[in-house]
Amino acid sequence: MAEKLLEIKNLKTSFRIKDDYFAAVDDVSLNVNKNEVLAIVGESGCGKSALAFSIMGLHTRAKMEGDILYKGENIVGISPSKLNKLRGKHMGMIFQDPLTALNPLMIIGDQIGEALLLHNKEMSKTQRKEKVIDLLNKVGIPRPEYVYEQFPHELSGGMRQRVVIATAIANEPELLIADEPTTALDVTIQSQILDLIKDLKDDMNSGIVLITHDLGVVAEMADRVAVMYAGEIVEIAEVTELFEEPLHPYTRSLFNSVPNASEEQDRLHVIQGIVPSLQNLPRTGCRFAPRIPWIDESAHEAHPELHEVKPGHFVRCTCYKHFRFPEEVGKEEEHHGVS
Amino acid sequence: MEANVEVKAKEVIKSPSGFSVVWRELIKDKLALISLIFLIGVTAFVYGTAIFLDQEEIVKVDLFSIYEPPGEEFILGTDYGGRDVFGQLIIGTRNSLSIAILVTLMTGIIGIIYGLVSGYFGGHIDNIMMRILDFFLILPFTMIVIAFVAIVPKYSVWTFSLIMTAFLWMGIARLVRSKALAEKELDYIQAARTLGTSNFKVVFKHLLPNVSSIIIVNMTINLAGNIGLESGLSFLGFGFPESTPSLGTLLSYARNPQTLEFRWWIWVPASLMILLLMLAVNNVGTALRRAVDARQRRG
Repeated sequence: MAEKLLEIKNLKTSFRIKDDYFAAVDDVSLNVNKNEVLAIVGESGCGKSALAFSIMGLHTRAKMEGDILYKGENIVGISPSKLNKLRGKHMGMIFQDPLTALNPLMIIGDQIGEALLLHNKEMSKTQRKEKVIDLLNKVGIPRPEYVYEQFPHELSGGMRQRVVIATAIANEPELLIADEPTTALDVTIQSQILDLIKDLKDDMNSGIVLITHDLGVVAEMADRVAVMYAGEIVEIAEVTELFEEPLHPYTRSLFNSVPNASEEQDRLHVIQGIVPSLQNLPRTGCRFAPRIPWIDESAHEAHPELHEVKPGHFVRCTCYKHFRFPEEVGKEEEHHGVS
Repeated sequence: MEANVEVKAKEVIKSPSGFSVVWRELIKDKLALISLIFLIGVTAFVYGTAIFLDQEEIVKVDLFSIYEPPGEEFILGTDYGGRDVFGQLIIGTRNSLSIAILVTLMTGIIGIIYGLVSGYFGGHIDNIMMRILDFFLILPFTMIVIAFVAIVPKYSVWTFSLIMTAFLWMGIARLVRSKALAEKELDYIQAARTLGTSNFKVVFKHLLPNVSSIIIVNMTINLAGNIGLESGLSFLGFGFPESTPSLGTLLSYARNPQTLEFRWWIWVPASLMILLLMLAVNNVGTALRRAVDARQRRG
C-alpha cells in the first residue's frame, strides 16, 4: 500500500451564520497518498474549497472538528507559528484565480522569493534569485530574468498561473492542493498547466489534491476521485472504476450532464434544482434526495453511510440501487406498454 | 501585411512608476502644479527664514511702535504690542504648518495601525476596536480640547499636537479598516498565508502597500483640514498664547472691532495665508486622488 501523506478523519468545518454554526464540510474522511492525485469533484457550493481551506488552515473564524493528520501529526488547532512552519514548506496551494492570487504591488521575483525567504533563512540573496529563476524555468516561463522584475499586471493569465504554481512549489512541498487551477484559463493553456502539474508531481513525488468541477480534467489527471455533494463525500473510487461504473445518483447525474459530442442532443441534461445553501441544507437522510424526487423515499437510507461496494469503491446511501434517470424510466414504461 | 512591425525582444517596456504617474497628473493639472510649487516655496521660505528670525525678539512688546501701518521699517506693520506682523506671520505659518504636519502624521500612524489590525483580524477584535473608536467619535472635540488647554500647564507645539491627535485619528482608522476588510478577502492575502507568512508580515508587507494609495490621498486632505482646525482653535483662544504666534493667533486680533475695521494689515495676511495654504493642499490632494485611480486620471 502506498504511503499515507494526509489523513482526514471525520472533519467538520462549520461557519457561523446568525448565531448558529452550519457545517460546510460535514464528516469528511479522506486519505491522500504520496505520488497520487486525488481529485475532488462536485458542483459549486459543495464544500470543495472549504475542504481545501481547512487543510491549509486558512479559515480564521470557522469551527473545525475532527482530525487532519499530516504524516501522522494532527494539524487541526495547532498554533499559528507551528502551522506556518508547515505551510509553504510541506504544503503548497495553487489558487483558482491567477488574477487575484498575486500581490499586485510586488515583483514576480519577490513573490516567489518570499516562500524561500520564509523557510530557508540561511539562503543568500543571490542564491535565492538563482533558485527563483530556476523555478520560473521549471514552470515554463520564457525569459525568466526579465519576468523576475515584472509586476503581475504585466503578465497574461496563463503566465500568472505559472507564477502562482512556481510560488506554491518553491520549497518542493510534499502535499500540493490545487483549487480549480485551470478554471480561469482558456482551454489551450489549461492542458499546458495540467501537464505542468503532472510533471511536477512526478518530479517531486508529492501528493496532490485536485479540486475541480471539470470531469475532463479528472479523467486526465486523477488517480482516485472523491465526489462531494453538500459537504459530504458521496462516492469515492479509483478513476477508471468511477468512470466505468459510477454508482451514486449524483455521480451519474454529473456524468449525464456532460454534453456528448457523438450523439445528437436537443437539450443538455441538467440536474434538477440547485445545491441548497448552507442554512437550508437537509441534515438528515440522503442529501441528494430532493433533487431526484421521482425516486421513492423508501429507496433512501435514514442515515446514509459510505458502503464499500467493491474494494476501494465507496458509495453513500442505498438509493443508487434504485436510481434511474427519468428518461430511462419513461422508455421502460413505453416498452412495457408495447409488450 | 504588418510583417514590417519588428518587435525587439530585448526592448524593455517598463510600466510607469508611481512617481511618474503623479508627475504626469501634475503636468496636466496646472492648478495643482502651481499649488505644489506654492506649497514648497512657502514651506522652504518659512522654515528657512525661521532659522534666522528670533522668536523672542519678534514677540517682544515695543510700546513706541504700536499699530504702525505697513511701511519702510515694518513691511506689514505692527500689532497692539508693537510687534512686527511680518515676522509673526513667518513664525506663525511655520508653527501652524508644523502642527498640521505633526498631527497628520501622528493621526496617520495611529489610524493606519488601528485600522489595519481591526480590518485584517475582523470578528470580535474588529467589533471591540470599532466600539472603542465609536466612543472617541462621540466625544465633543472642541469641549475636550478646551478642557485640556486648561489642564496642561505649558503649551508647546508638541503638547498641542498630541491633544489634537488624540481626537482626530478615528477618521483615517475607519477608512483604512474598510479598505483592509475588502482587500484581505482577495486571494493574494490567502496565498501569502499558505506560504507560511506570519500575520504581522501579511499585514505590513502585503496589506499595507495595497491600501497605501488611499492613505496618502486622505492624509493630504487631512493636512489642509488640520491647518484650518489649528487656526480655528487659536482664533477662539484655545490654541497658542500670543507668545507663540500661529496663523490663528494673528487671526484672533480681528476679534477687536477696531482692528477688524481699520487695521487690516494685522489679520488680512494671516487669513490669506490660511486660505491659500488650504486651497493649495487641497488642489494637490485632488490631483493625487486622480493619480491613484486609473479611471479618473487625466495625464
